[in-house]
Amino acid sequence: MTLVMVVDDDQDLAEMLGIVLTGAGIDVDLVSRGDEVLEVFRNNPPDLVLLDVMLPGLDGIEVCKLIRAESMVPIVMLSAKGDTHDVVRGLEAGADDYMVKPFRHPSELIARIRTRLRRTNADVSGLLTIGDLSIDVTAHEISRGAKKIALTRLEFDLLVALAKEPGRVFTRDALLGEVWGYRHSTDTRLVNVHVQRLRSKVEHDPERPEIVMTVRGVGYKAGVLGGS
Amino acid sequence: MNRIAIKVRTSLASKVIVSTVLLSLGVVWLTGSALYSQLSDGVKQVNLETSLAEARSSFFNAQYQFLLINGAQTSIISKAVQDVIIASTAVSLNQDRKSIFVSRFGIPAKSIGKTPSPDYSTATDGLDVSSFPTELRKRVRSSDLVEYQYAKVRYQNRADANVLIAGRRIAIPDSGNYEMYLVYSLNNQSKTLSLIQSSLLITGLALLFLIGLITWLVVRQVVRPVREAARIAQQFTQGDFSQRMKVESTDEIATLGNAFNDMALSLESQISRLENLSRVQQRFVSDVSHELRTPLTTLRMASEVIYSHRESFDPTISRSSELLVAQLDRFERLLEDLLEVSRFDAEVAVLEPVDFDLVNLIERCIQDVRANSHDHVISINIDHETEHVMIKADIRRVERIMRNLLSNALDHAEDKPVNVTIVSTESEVAIGVRDYGTGIEATALSRVFDRFWRADPSRARVRGGTGLGLSIALEDARLHNGELDAWGLPGEGAHFVLTLPKIAGEQIAGRPIRPQPFDYPQNV
Repeated sequence: MTLVMVVDDDQDLAEMLGIVLTGAGIDVDLVSRGDEVLEVFRNNPPDLVLLDVMLPGLDGIEVCKLIRAESMVPIVMLSAKGDTHDVVRGLEAGADDYMVKPFRHPSELIARIRTRLRRTNADVSGLLTIGDLSIDVTAHEISRGAKKIALTRLEFDLLVALAKEPGRVFTRDALLGEVWGYRHSTDTRLVNVHVQRLRSKVEHDPERPEIVMTVRGVGYKAGVLGGS
Repeated sequence: MNRIAIKVRTSLASKVIVSTVLLSLGVVWLTGSALYSQLSDGVKQVNLETSLAEARSSFFNAQYQFLLINGAQTSIISKAVQDVIIASTAVSLNQDRKSIFVSRFGIPAKSIGKTPSPDYSTATDGLDVSSFPTELRKRVRSSDLVEYQYAKVRYQNRADANVLIAGRRIAIPDSGNYEMYLVYSLNNQSKTLSLIQSSLLITGLALLFLIGLITWLVVRQVVRPVREAARIAQQFTQGDFSQRMKVESTDEIATLGNAFNDMALSLESQISRLENLSRVQQRFVSDVSHELRTPLTTLRMASEVIYSHRESFDPTISRSSELLVAQLDRFERLLEDLLEVSRFDAEVAVLEPVDFDLVNLIERCIQDVRANSHDHVISINIDHETEHVMIKADIRRVERIMRNLLSNALDHAEDKPVNVTIVSTESEVAIGVRDYGTGIEATALSRVFDRFWRADPSRARVRGGTGLGLSIALEDARLHNGELDAWGLPGEGAHFVLTLPKIAGEQIAGRPIRPQPFDYPQNV
């Protein structure tokens, strides 16, 4: 059974989320305080964390950073604020995805959670290369020479999505569909922030990327070894 | 010169100094010239009286001498004449030079014996007697008194000079009647007068300079606080409200300073109060949004769970769950719109421009709007010249404008088709959304962008719009420096035209699509 940790201080919402997720066949662990998250997380590691931003005890952003420091588990932020500033802050703290309250449909939430739990690149296996990086899709490992690079599952998926079709230019919308599982979305902030985060981990110089290249006005593509 | 004129016009101190000095110049000039004319009159008078007294005594002495030697020998008389001439022209140390002119007139005395009576006519000092005024000589000949006149005479060996001439008729024994003139040089007098003149001039100039200096000092005292106030006021304009004027005395300038500082204090507190209010307001809106959204999320999820089981309920509960879901949808839209409006009002709406293809976006919006129009399918035609129109704009806002315009058009289309036109030029892009439905009254045209305004209050709200859609669309367009225009006629439909700069924030040069549609007669 899949286990999702729901962190929200609103008892009713947490209970409702529990009902909806249980109804979809997902086990739920409810936590209501920010400063209790880490202990529960260590005792019973979940497959995904659903994290509210405004929390008593410890701010959701801080909690996100703490979890990210010791785990690559997918994190979906729940926020009552939809302003870019808040969204970007959450994503930069390490969240893979975010949902602004109120969600349009509970099914939307479940779809997002499923996407984050699924192996998005199930059709790909074996070894891929992007720039001077080699990706072992099966082992879920990235390495530059002998050096291993740790990525979150989402960052891994993003890199694989680019690497498996080296010549293709991906629009931000296409990446949103491919990696996040969104159908109609124009929320390019998600892509921009994650590309930046990915670059800071895999690029030699994030200011002059060679792995994840920007195609101005269109989107991104995989960098070719030795070319620019 | 021009620079000085500008300085005088723009600087209060210069203005006051210049006008004070000019006025003082007039006063000094008047008093100076009055003083000078009085002084010079006095000097001349004294000089005249002295000279005339001396001349009288000389004439008297000469007459007396000649009287004494009446009937004496010619040589004695001649000697006496010489003595008189020498005595009359003798000058004391501080006296000006004197000349004498003696001339016989009338019938000479009868000669004694063979020799004719001697003529003692003479002129000393190289006097040119022809330059003597004839009028004076006429008077002297006919008068028994001392006559005088100012005149300009010529000398043979030096320059012409202004002189005072005093003359009297004198008789010399055995010779006849003579005119005797004493010529007094006015050299000393004119020296004295020019000395007076120059000292007056120097005093006047010094006075003017001092007046200017004093004025400058006084004016500076007044102007410095004014300049200070102006400087501080300028800082206020730039948003620095911490500056205050220094108040060091208890005069009117200090009153100005205190009043200014009071005003500054009041302004500062007013502004911080308003800032505080606006902060509180924004904070409140943000809090409300947060506080409302969490229960709304729970509500929505609960209603969806109920809705998904509606088949197992009896019809009234089933219908109720449908209504619940629909109204929650509407409530949520209303909340979002209200929040957006409050962001515009608080001026915290931020533009986040990205590059994207407008045609692609509009096609997607049309698909979505079409998918949401459950009960009736209206055709939406899109007409554009190029396949892609790349613009740099806030994609979420442009999408929202398009959704609002499209759903507004569908709301009023009365099952007739809706046409969308895209026209792109060098610097801007225009999107026209035309429907052929109910249209808009001319009087209502100016109000379509008002909040919560509805063309016909009694009309059914088919799509359950919030009443804020067009108002937000207009704000969104203006945030891009774009414009949203509306046209409409009752029964002829409506035409909404969005014009955006291709790069958000730049100016739009014109309207590639006119609000008045081409398919409608232009002259009506």
